[in-house]
Amino acid sequence: MLRQLQARFGGPLAMAILGLLGIWLILLVTLPQLQMIDYSFRPNLLPDQRGGPEDGWTLGNYATLLNNEIHRVIFFKTLWSSVLVTLLTLAVSYPLAWYLAKVATPRQAALCILLLIIPFWINEILRTYAWFIILAFRGPLNEVLMMLGLIERPIRFLSGDAGVMVGMVYAYILFMVFPVYNAIESLDDNQVRAARDLGAGTIRTHRRIVIPHAKPGIATGCIMTFMLAAGSYAVPALLGSPGSRWFTQIIYNWFFEGGNWNQGAAYAFLLLVLCIGFMSLVMRFFKVGLGDIAK
Amino acid sequence: MDGSVRLDEVVMRFGDFTAIEKTTLEIGSGEFFSFLGPSGCGKTTLLNMISGFLTPTEGRVWIGDEAMGKVSVNRRPTAMIFQNLALFPLMTVFENIEFGLEVRGVDKRTRREASEKLLALVALEGSGPKQIGELSGGQKQRVAIARALAVEPRVLLLDEPLSALDLKLRQHMRAELKAIQRKTGITFIYITHDQGEALTMSDRVAVMSAGRIQQVADPMTLYRSPATGFVAAFVGENNRLETRVIEREGQRVRLDAGNLGELAGMAGETVILGNGDRAALFLRPEHLKPIGEGDAGPRLSATIEAVHFEGAWVMLETRLEASGEKLRVQLGHEVSRQYADSLDIGQRMTFGYDPADAVVLPDDGSPVLDEDTGEMVETEQRAMPDGGSHA
Repeated sequence: MLRQLQARFGGPLAMAILGLLGIWLILLVTLPQLQMIDYSFRPNLLPDQRGGPEDGWTLGNYATLLNNEIHRVIFFKTLWSSVLVTLLTLAVSYPLAWYLAKVATPRQAALCILLLIIPFWINEILRTYAWFIILAFRGPLNEVLMMLGLIERPIRFLSGDAGVMVGMVYAYILFMVFPVYNAIESLDDNQVRAARDLGAGTIRTHRRIVIPHAKPGIATGCIMTFMLAAGSYAVPALLGSPGSRWFTQIIYNWFFEGGNWNQGAAYAFLLLVLCIGFMSLVMRFFKVGLGDIAK
Repeated sequence: MDGSVRLDEVVMRFGDFTAIEKTTLEIGSGEFFSFLGPSGCGKTTLLNMISGFLTPTEGRVWIGDEAMGKVSVNRRPTAMIFQNLALFPLMTVFENIEFGLEVRGVDKRTRREASEKLLALVALEGSGPKQIGELSGGQKQRVAIARALAVEPRVLLLDEPLSALDLKLRQHMRAELKAIQRKTGITFIYITHDQGEALTMSDRVAVMSAGRIQQVADPMTLYRSPATGFVAAFVGENNRLETRVIEREGQRVRLDAGNLGELAGMAGETVILGNGDRAALFLRPEHLKPIGEGDAGPRLSATIEAVHFEGAWVMLETRLEASGEKLRVQLGHEVSRQYADSLDIGQRMTFGYDPADAVVLPDDGSPVLDEDTGEMVETEQRAMPDGGSHA
């Protein structure tokens, strides 16, 4: 890489570029993370106790999760709910991506993509508040459903997981639609035609031809959506109820309400490690490598 | 098993563009039938209507005694071999061939037996577990054939499947396709722009141009008695001379070829030509031979401009002295040896032909195929027989 840069920009400029890259990686990414890891292994001490006999490395902060049943339940519930959000997002995005890639005319596809992107010019918090209004007990969604005679009395969307689910599917849909769309788009139309010609119906054509081809894109979309969902803070904070607390909210509380950064850092790393572990399991299960995703 | 196909006054329009003019055609069960025409002539559209990927704007498609109007692609008794083959790259050879059977709910053992048998038919025994990517071009071709045959279609549709292969392999696959067709007795409908493919394999050929079928005939008839100027120019090579009719006696027509003098040729019984009508005289390069002073019959004096040695024959590019038009002459091995001394650029030669071999067709002013560019040329740009101007 150094040789390529040298050939292109000359020696001094190449060194400067690499230097800046190094500063960014080390100073702004690696060191703060190392600092947080260090925090997570130390007890929360008052300033004058630091460096004293009690200051040493310990697994205490990590053990807290094992001993606190409520936190443990929320931890696994967050993982499980993130899986659900991912599957829901995939269920919504796949038909949309198929339509965009293979059914719509180029004009229709362009219009559709524009309509998908425009809401994302608005801040995530504002978009989430919009859903808060839509889903409210006396909000427009309940009004419409009652007017259509589908329900007799309003539903409390915001009291369970439903509000969080809807909000997250909406918040992360683009991260799913685009990788899946790209993958489906690269499929030769004749593959689909050949499957149809050999007698396959719609479902089988998708199951045997389209989905296997789009697998890397689907895996990419799922990983991004899952990571974003598990690490989401705004949506559960705004659309959730005490019954649908997210693990990120507990991490937040340790940092900013409990004032215990050490404990917060430990929880954050536990979430990160578990997410990575979970994703590598999923990737192995679907036989998708990191290289496929990078495509 | 009735694999006959009938197109009943089908028309295909895309917006304002008519891809297929009203067409009626019957293809017999077990026939090897080809659609031959330049790209954009509508042959693929016709194929897609038979397979069900397109629904005709008007008219009906019949397979056997069933109208296909409401029958979707996946329920038709047809199978298609695509131009790019469209093998499933993520499946093995076995899985590809068995896909159609898997769809039909055939159990695994029966499927495997069927695919082994098909692999034997296409001479690919033992390649079943291979991935598609491991196969050569010719092998992929065979897998595509086996995959299409696996669903036991009554009609096999082939969309220029040999176009991606190199020359030798293409010639080999022609013979093989024909053999498979004979062995299975399935109706083959073959689309191609390559006349060699159409002529060597087919029982009958439909020559198409601009959404219209120009002529349907067996290859020999097509070559010897083209029905239209387009067929005469597109199938095989032809020299085209513009003339006017002097007199017609039965099939034999005497023609006034302007500066070239009087020539003669044969017109089919159904061809309508009155005295004084414009007519095109078609002379195949291989029907022209050098003649001496005393020989009777039509005479064409020309200057040699290029000599192409092709091995079995020599192709001469000459220019007619009287009119300045081009004339291509093909001399067989024996003849070219006999005249070896005079086959040089700038040499003059006089050619004759047997009028029984020359085809006369009315010149209706429709565009003609330009041999040099392979494109259709409008009448205005063409040389006029009496005007003597050249485009």
